[in-house]
Amino acid sequence: MASIQGGIPALISAESAQSDVDLAALVESYSGLLFRVAHSILRSRAEAEDVVQEVFVRVIERRRSLQAIRDMRVWLVRIAWNLALDRRRRIRPEQMDESFAESLAGNSAPADERLDQAQRMRSVLREMERLPKAERHVLLLSAIEELGTEEISEVLGRSGSAVRALIFRARTRLRERLGARGGER
Amino acid sequence: MKNPDEAIDKVLAGLRDVEAPAGMERRILAAAEAGTAVHGAAVSRWASRVAMAGMIVLSFTLAIPAIKWHGHLATEAQRHALPAPSAKGAQAASAPPRELITPARTPTRIAAPRRKARPVNAADALLLAEMRAPSHPAPEEPLTNEERLLIRAVHLGDTQVMAMLNPEVRARQEAESEAEFQRFAEQSGKGDSE
Repeated sequence: MASIQGGIPALISAESAQSDVDLAALVESYSGLLFRVAHSILRSRAEAEDVVQEVFVRVIERRRSLQAIRDMRVWLVRIAWNLALDRRRRIRPEQMDESFAESLAGNSAPADERLDQAQRMRSVLREMERLPKAERHVLLLSAIEELGTEEISEVLGRSGSAVRALIFRARTRLRERLGARGGER
Repeated sequence: MKNPDEAIDKVLAGLRDVEAPAGMERRILAAAEAGTAVHGAAVSRWASRVAMAGMIVLSFTLAIPAIKWHGHLATEAQRHALPAPSAKGAQAASAPPRELITPARTPTRIAAPRRKARPVNAADALLLAEMRAPSHPAPEEPLTNEERLLIRAVHLGDTQVMAMLNPEVRARQEAESEAEFQRFAEQSGKGDSE
C-alpha cells in the first residue's frame, strides 16, 4: 500500500482537506470487497474493476454529505451492487460466464476432465441466472464471505429472516434444477 | 450432474475467492482523481462539447459562403482578364464571343486566315453555353484530416455519454441518485436513533 500512498500525490490531501474522507483508506479497506460484490454479478474482472472505480467516483461526488452515512461499508456495497446490476444489463453475460466457468475448472486436471468441469460450472451459472431475481441476488451476495445476513438485508432492503429464507429457497431450487438436468443426461 | 451441491459450492467459492487484479487500488485512485476533475466540471464538459459542436457547425456555415464568394471572385477575375473590345475592333464585336475569348496557341495560327464560324442553332448554343459555364458553386471537396478528426472527437462518446448530453436524462439520473442517497441517509439516521 505504500506504493499507492506514494503514488497519489495531491488528491488525497486535497480531498481530505475539503472533507474528512480519506479516500486512500477507503480504497484500501473496501476495494477488495466491492470488487467481489461487482464480480459476483458481472463475472468479469475488468468490468468489476470499472464498477469499483465508479463507486469511488461517487464517494468523491458525495464527499460533503458523507457524515450522514452511518454505515459506510453497507453504503458502498449498495452502490457497487446497483452499478453492477446496471452494467450487467449492458454487457453480454453469457460470454462472461463462459470464461469464468473455464477459470473455475482449474488447470491441473486433464483436458477432458477440465472441459467436463467447465461444462458443469456453466450449467450452475446458467441455472443461477434463471432463479427468481430476489433469490438470485441473495444467493450471490451470500457467496461473499465478508457480508453477513444483516448486511445483505440492508443492501437489498429486506429483513434478515427474509434473506435467510431466500437463501434456503434459492439453494433448494438450484439443487432441484441441476439434479433434474443431471437426470435428463 | 453427479452432485449438484458440490457444483453449487464450487461456483460460490469461486465467486468468494476471486482476487482483485494487481494494481487495482492505484488505478482506482487515479481514476477517482480524474473523476473528480471530470465530474467536478461535468457541466463545463457538457458545455464545452456543445461549444465544440457549435464551432464546427459555425465554421462550416462560414466556410460555405466563403468558398462560394471565392469562386465568384475567381469567375469575375477571369471575366475581367479578357481583353475588352476596343472601338477599333467594333466590327469584330459582332463576331461570336467564342472567337474572341479563344486564346491563340501559336503565332502562326493568329496569322492564319480565320475560318468562318460555323452557324450554331439555338439549341446547340444553349448546350454549348451550359457546357462552357463555370461550375458554380464548386463541388464539395472531401473532408480534410483535421475535419475528420473534429467530427470523430464530437462523435466519439458512447451511447451512455451521448444520452447524458440529453438534459432530461441527466437531470433524471441526478434526481434518482440524490433520492437514493437521501433514502439511505434517512435510514442511517433512523438506525442511529434506534
